Amino acid sequence: MSGILRFISLLSLGAILFATPPALAKGLEVDLSKPDVRLDVSFEGADLLLFGATDHEGDIIVVVRGPAKDTSIRLKERVAGIWVSTDEVIFEGAPSFYALASSKPIDDLLAMEVLLQQKIGTKNLGLVAKSAPDDATEDTLKNFKDGLVRNMVAKNLYTGEPGQIDLVGKQLFRTDLWFPANVHVGEYVIDTYLITNGRIATHNSTQLSVHKVGLEAEIYNFAHEHALLYGLLAILIAVVSGWTANAVFKKRG
Amino acid sequence: MQIYLPIAEVSVNIFLILGMGGGIGFLSGLFGVGGGFLMTPLLIFIGIPPAVAVGTEANQIVASSISGVLAHFKRGNVDIRMGVMLLIGGVIGSTFGVWLFTFLKTLGQIDLVIKLSYVIFLGVIGSLMFIESLNSMRASKKAGPPKRKGHNILHGLPFKMRFRRSKLYISAVLPLAVGVVVGILSAIMGVGGGFVMVPAMIYLLGMPTAVVVGTSLFQIIFVTANVTVLQAVNNYAVDVVLALLLLIGGVIGAQFGARAGAKLKGEQLRVLLAMMVLGVCIKIALDLTLTPDDLYALGTTGGH
Repeated sequence: MSGILRFISLLSLGAILFATPPALAKGLEVDLSKPDVRLDVSFEGADLLLFGATDHEGDIIVVVRGPAKDTSIRLKERVAGIWVSTDEVIFEGAPSFYALASSKPIDDLLAMEVLLQQKIGTKNLGLVAKSAPDDATEDTLKNFKDGLVRNMVAKNLYTGEPGQIDLVGKQLFRTDLWFPANVHVGEYVIDTYLITNGRIATHNSTQLSVHKVGLEAEIYNFAHEHALLYGLLAILIAVVSGWTANAVFKKRG
Repeated sequence: MQIYLPIAEVSVNIFLILGMGGGIGFLSGLFGVGGGFLMTPLLIFIGIPPAVAVGTEANQIVASSISGVLAHFKRGNVDIRMGVMLLIGGVIGSTFGVWLFTFLKTLGQIDLVIKLSYVIFLGVIGSLMFIESLNSMRASKKAGPPKRKGHNILHGLPFKMRFRRSKLYISAVLPLAVGVVVGILSAIMGVGGGFVMVPAMIYLLGMPTAVVVGTSLFQIIFVTANVTVLQAVNNYAVDVVLALLLLIGGVIGAQFGARAGAKLKGEQLRVLLAMMVLGVCIKIALDLTLTPDDLYALGTTGGH
């Protein structure tokens, strides 16, 4: 509900922006229907509405990036009839989540070098290998990069097909962002680009926190901060339930 | 109804997990094995990270073994002395096993090792059990007790000990060695090791079958408890929410399983168990040999 209210307030904001003289200021306002993504017991993934207003006409690209992580990708090869992991490439700081939405196909909007520079699109992530087999060529690395993207798309952590951005009138836009149930926790960055005449006119960067709350957070933190105690408690739970089960057994004969 | 697991970091259907616990619990009550060798691959199959599947399953086996061993204690079917010897070996083996697990994880070969261990052990034990139980089914028609095995090289080992309940006078090295092997498997495969331990005790140590299951369960409690703590500390891989759901299903399933088991003959049970073990073995062997969908797979560096 608050999302709708905000949307309405943004409509008026858009109106104000529109009313002001088309000054040099390249305004681009972006907001989300929820301030954060909360991973609780019933979390099945989250839908977020991103909406915004600009002070002049143009196309919009939205990129969501999860926390960067060194990511390992391994090649499987058949050794003596069995598929074995062999070569490994570790890419430095690959985004753990990458979602893209645009009002037109990105290749139509921006030149290749700009896409590469801004890392827009899963083909243009600019992944750098931190470690790789000694004989790895550019082609080998490219295969590993493609493999990484394919795997992440299969896990719904990268978008395969870019999402759609709806332009509402000339200055308002909106798009749906989907965070699947297997998202990693951390600080996400949402970059919104306003494109005019094949150039990035304005760029807005918003933070989004993805975090565990309630019982989920307590169990997770406890397991990591007091690992030994957690392990012992897990055993205690097992002992008590095993004992209870046996007691119930006996009564039933 | 979905539930988000705090450690596994995936969303699963509560009823699916309860049902899996119930189904495996039924089999475990029927055959007197922990069922870990079936549950761990199933958990991995539904998308639980392998490390979490192994750590959590160890935790669940603690509970089901305690429930089982209490019943055996009442009937005097636990050879504590033998259990303690197996246990000493088991703790050494499982500690080394968790270390090995962590090491193989960094090498990126943990999945391969888990799967190969499954294929080898399930294959060997399944086949042996299948042949043995078919033979005894044939033999039981002619009646007559199984003949007692003669002395072999294993009886020449030093450090002999008397195991009263098992009616044995054998070297302490034997149960220690069996314990070490089962402990390693337990840590790597996320199993109690009952399916290795039980045949080893019957065929290798020559223990009476009645005492075998109780004693095996007795020592499995401690080995899996050790694995649980070590997995929790080294790999943060124990999900108590998942373990609890599996437990609830497992406890109920085991009751029905034990009742169904009372209606079947020993040899019939063993043939069925052997067929199931071989089935799982073939499934995993196919996974290893069939061409995967994607030759590139994510490693473990990016994990938590």
